[in-house]
Amino acid sequence: MTKPHDQIENEALDWVIRQRDPIFDDWDGFTAWLGADPAHADVYHAVATADQDMGALLQSAPARRAEPIRPAPAFSPAPPPQRRAVGRRGWLGGAVAASLALVGGYGWMTTRALPYVVETAPGEHRTLALGDGTRIDLNGTTRLTLDRNHPRFASVDHGEALFTVVHDASRPFTVSVGGATLLDVGTVFNVVREAHETRVAVSEGAVVYNPDAEAVQLPAGKALRARDGDAPLDVTAVAPDSVAGWREGKLVYDGAPMAQVAEDLGRSLGLSVRAAPDVAARPVRGIITISGGDKEAMLRSVGPLLDIAIGREGQTWVLTAKGP
Amino acid sequence: MEQQDANGLEAVFFAERARLLGFLRAHGAGEAAEDLLQDLWLKISSARTGPVAQPLSYLFRAANNLMLDRYRSVRQDVKREQDWSDATGATTPGRSDEPSGERVLIGRESLRKAEAALAALGPRVERIFRRHRLDGIGQREIAAEMGISLSTVESDLRKAYKAMIELRRTLDEG
Repeated sequence: MTKPHDQIENEALDWVIRQRDPIFDDWDGFTAWLGADPAHADVYHAVATADQDMGALLQSAPARRAEPIRPAPAFSPAPPPQRRAVGRRGWLGGAVAASLALVGGYGWMTTRALPYVVETAPGEHRTLALGDGTRIDLNGTTRLTLDRNHPRFASVDHGEALFTVVHDASRPFTVSVGGATLLDVGTVFNVVREAHETRVAVSEGAVVYNPDAEAVQLPAGKALRARDGDAPLDVTAVAPDSVAGWREGKLVYDGAPMAQVAEDLGRSLGLSVRAAPDVAARPVRGIITISGGDKEAMLRSVGPLLDIAIGREGQTWVLTAKGP
Repeated sequence: MEQQDANGLEAVFFAERARLLGFLRAHGAGEAAEDLLQDLWLKISSARTGPVAQPLSYLFRAANNLMLDRYRSVRQDVKREQDWSDATGATTPGRSDEPSGERVLIGRESLRKAEAALAALGPRVERIFRRHRLDGIGQREIAAEMGISLSTVESDLRKAYKAMIELRRTLDEG
């Protein structure tokens, strides 16, 4: 039996008023009321948005009192979503399509692709929660392509991302990067794609690199570097704890070239940083801690640690050999 | 770093995922509920707040606001909506924040009507409403502050909120 509209409206209004109280916490009661009748949500939305509008109007009055206390986080006006739709099939070109084909036996491949892009600004960190509980942490200047209809797939277009995958043997999670495919085997792993190079480091579980070609097994504690072209794959040891150090602002190196350190610093600080040719190949060992505060001062303080000079060419910071 | 502050919230978000999803569905999200939950997380993780005192309530409020934003965006009355937000000074992406002279007049006229409608309810109702709606003071505190019963505060608030929502309707039509 449906209640009269006036009664629903009074109930909706009571919820709006109660929710304005900073201590309101009866969200289960409110959920139950909303769910009891689809008309409840409709009426509540109309009443609550009207209340928001009137609040904004009254607050636009010339100040007659101190800054009002706002109990609720204000998400309005909403920023435009940080994503954009790309051409339905456009991004599934060449190598990516080929690497997807190897999992083509699974039923979900028949569903049409609904890709969307998630991007981070320089220096920004962001965490995505996927529906299956899988988590993706994005470092700065990173772009991923995900697919609403294929939730067990991600493409690392460029930048760095840490995947914490909820394993499901019947629906393996695949990551497409630099024309290669990574197949998870119950896993936490970090992926970097930049400057014609792909790097994968495994912190927990295991990953298979290109299961249909090289099929390199990477257990926890292993890292792989693949340069575009025919160069051989480079598999090295890595401390599992250090794999996602960037999330805590720690960059851990055990012999990585200075060029990579420069890229990591740039991504973490949101600055343009490169290594000059005279130091680009120099191996780096040690831990760089990225703290908040002044980024340029932070970058300058890295100079003595790496035994290099730090100069500037326009907007780009350049790591070079120290003068005599 | 900012990341650290979000961690407590993140743990609660994952632990209460099912409850939040149920909340979005009760709001009528239907099949979009999963996507909206992800939108919610994107918004929260990019909002860069400090530590949150009541994380669960914060998440529910954010989810509630998300559904209200969604309601606004699916309403067909897009043009009026934009006129309204221009008049009240809300920012519309891609538009100038500076309202046109005519819109300033509409905004001022609406504000005058709202203040008149509140004043017409009497000084006690107006004061209670302003303390609650604009200053964010709880009903119990208002009752204590003004030396009146909680039920008086409740019934006065109902009158005032109702008057404001009625006025919002007539402003839309006018």
